[in-house]
Amino acid sequence: MAQQISDRRDIDFVLHEQLKVGEFSKHEKYAEFNKKTVDLIVNEARNLAVKEILPTRKEGDREGCKFDKGTVTTPEMFKRPFKLLKEGEWVAMPEDPDWGGQGMPRSVSMAAAEYFNGANYSFMMYAGLTHGAGRLVETFGTDRQKSLFLKNMYTGEWTGTMLLTEPVAGSDVGRLETKAVPQGDGTYKITGQKIFISSGEHDLAENIVHPVLARIEGAPEGTKGISLFLVPKYRVKEDGNLGEFNDVNCVGIEEKMGIHGNATATLSLGDKDNCVGELLGEENKGMRAMFLMMNEARLLVGMQGFATATASYIEAVNYAKERIQGRHLTKMLEKDAPAVPIVQHPDVRRMLMNMKAYVEGIRSLLYYTAWLEDRADTIDDEEEKEKNHGLIDLLIPIAKGYVTDRAFDVCNYGMQVFGGYGYTNEYPQEQLMRDCRITQIYEGTNGIQAMDLMGRKLGMKKGKLVMDLMGEVNATISNAKAQEKVKPHAERLEEALNKLGEAAMHLGKSAMSDKLMEAFGYAYPFMEVCGDVVMAWMLVWRASIAEQALEKAKKKDVPFYEGQIKSAQFFCNTVLPATLGKLNAILATDGAAVEIDEASFIG
Amino acid sequence: MEILVCVKRVPDTAENEIEINSEGNDIERDDLVYSVNEWDNYAVEEAIQMVDKHGGSVTVVTVGDEESEEVLRREMAMGAENGLLLTDDAFEGSDGRGIAALLKAAVEKGNYDLIMTGAQADEGYAQVGGMLAAMLDYPYASLVNMIEVGDGKLKVGREIEGGNMEVNEIDLPCVLSIQTGINEPRYVGIRGIRKVASVEIPTLGASDLGLDAGSVGEDAARVKRIDYFVPEMGEGAEMLEGSTDEIIDKLIELLKSKGGIK
Repeated sequence: MAQQISDRRDIDFVLHEQLKVGEFSKHEKYAEFNKKTVDLIVNEARNLAVKEILPTRKEGDREGCKFDKGTVTTPEMFKRPFKLLKEGEWVAMPEDPDWGGQGMPRSVSMAAAEYFNGANYSFMMYAGLTHGAGRLVETFGTDRQKSLFLKNMYTGEWTGTMLLTEPVAGSDVGRLETKAVPQGDGTYKITGQKIFISSGEHDLAENIVHPVLARIEGAPEGTKGISLFLVPKYRVKEDGNLGEFNDVNCVGIEEKMGIHGNATATLSLGDKDNCVGELLGEENKGMRAMFLMMNEARLLVGMQGFATATASYIEAVNYAKERIQGRHLTKMLEKDAPAVPIVQHPDVRRMLMNMKAYVEGIRSLLYYTAWLEDRADTIDDEEEKEKNHGLIDLLIPIAKGYVTDRAFDVCNYGMQVFGGYGYTNEYPQEQLMRDCRITQIYEGTNGIQAMDLMGRKLGMKKGKLVMDLMGEVNATISNAKAQEKVKPHAERLEEALNKLGEAAMHLGKSAMSDKLMEAFGYAYPFMEVCGDVVMAWMLVWRASIAEQALEKAKKKDVPFYEGQIKSAQFFCNTVLPATLGKLNAILATDGAAVEIDEASFIG
Repeated sequence: MEILVCVKRVPDTAENEIEINSEGNDIERDDLVYSVNEWDNYAVEEAIQMVDKHGGSVTVVTVGDEESEEVLRREMAMGAENGLLLTDDAFEGSDGRGIAALLKAAVEKGNYDLIMTGAQADEGYAQVGGMLAAMLDYPYASLVNMIEVGDGKLKVGREIEGGNMEVNEIDLPCVLSIQTGINEPRYVGIRGIRKVASVEIPTLGASDLGLDAGSVGEDAARVKRIDYFVPEMGEGAEMLEGSTDEIIDKLIELLKSKGGIK
């Protein structure tokens, strides 16, 4: 039987051959997580994902969430897997075991997350947002707040959300109007309306904990006056029991293109002036708290997009090997020639090859970004720690912005491989594509990711982050150049990397000059070329490992390793030439898009 | 109650394309993905539930190479307290009787009230449970899908023709072979996995078990596989090809032409 959701061999390759995650077990913090344990974790995550979560994907999409008089009912099929997810303690895999986490390396948790999210990420959002909200409580909460809220969140007994967006404050959070009035007892009365709240109201848990961004009465305008509050749906008594309803009212849920299984709620806080919140962290430091948690949230969104892509790719490969249609191109004129599986047609192979290269490259990038955090946790050298964190900061906009854009492309190919059937709901491809689409928008649109990369990350620490990344890529290149098969691909990568360095310098300078608008007009193409180079880096790195492994490979592994070298070959020879073209356009920094008169857009 | 559950590491049929090797005497085993035999998983779950209710402990045992340890560890993560790996080069090539002899030796080294096996293995012959019982001179019930614990006895049920149930009383100690469906095996969570991460699983070889190496293994086997092949497609078999709709149309056409439907 064919694999489902994801490619286990490739996951094992990234975990053990590329990143060698079992070595973290040499460190006290991760002593339990040796290779055998890691394999067992991935086995059991896959088992749960395939048997219990995957069957909810289609049904959850059809049934969707239902809103009625302030309550939201999730698809009936979600109840059982949510219970199993809690029982297996999969909600907060990498977090502190003292608070209900499981203390797992983040890189290992990525493999489990890939299976779970690939099975049905609209379902997984209930747990995923809980984990993120829990992290806010863990990082900024007082001991009292942690003991009242955190364990219940990390174990999935209660779920969590993030209340950020308002009708007038979307990408521009500084405009938010939700108000917090001190009560004199350390608590605040909260009033305001929050929209687009994923998992904002549902029936999977008895309580929902909402971290809420609001402005304390009299606080400064803009982002400097924003504070973070903890606002539960039901108040929590000092003994930990649930108290009265906290005036957090769900007034509706969105009708969306995808992720129908997840309730995207509009929440009205304090309609009866009875919504009480407590400060999480310091007054007016809400945005700082948000930024600290942003890397993780964006990496999760990258994972969501990627998970739809890997699922779409697996479906497409399985279908292309089974679907018989058309004669082989070399036998087109032979009337009696048999029809062949469509995987034998060059254009189908082109699509599958594109999907394969991106899925593999993205898997490596996402796991690597998590691995950097594990590495920082297990080394003492402060400078090296800082370098790892810098690399994470630099890679996050790529791991969200570039990754979700390419993930959508992969889903698009995934539909195309199925032909007309792909457009019907008989097959999963159309749903995967619909579900994927939001990942390009939420948690900071991909345009915002591009501005973050160019405007913040590029110049951070006087360009040290970029220099460190280039150093890492160059190390891979110099290894690969000593290998016969991978050498030409490494040379292509080197050419693109050098030109990328040139473009980064150029855009950095332009942004400081009167060409500011033109430079930012190229922020998105710049993120694209950065992403292309990072993909090529990951694929050359993989191919380099594969070339060595081929010398002693078991029979069944030979096509896998050869496939790694083909992915690098394909990407470096087919995608990177276009990247060089895009780099030329960036270096030319044409001003048409920013010069054009607004009146000229529609005549 | 002290329970020993015999488990086996088998190729995971959900994960592998099974192919016959070039010698034609076995399947291609190089790099197959393995997991615990499905029937055994039900047996372990039942044992864990019995111990939860009535006390005691569950030990899982397997005969195999070092890699077989992974299925023991998995079943221990599920809740079995102890594991036991019977491994020795001399065990290779054992037939069902040889495996049963090894398990018998392991049983005699412990003090078990109940021995459980899966009713059969994915690639097996459903023979070890019965042989083990005979060698131990224990009572045996097969295809068990219900167990009730009594005083020194068990009530065991099995499904028979027409969905009817038959219930027998059986003295302890005994051997039971467990049918799927007797329970719903639990999923393994991370806590369970972490718990067994550093556990050393004891291994026993021929001398530890007090066995003469020549009494088991390939040389002692009295049943030997001599061939392995995919049956040729017989005449009259026809594979329908095309899209689902096309296949349905063809099938209806065929059934109509042969008088199957009007």
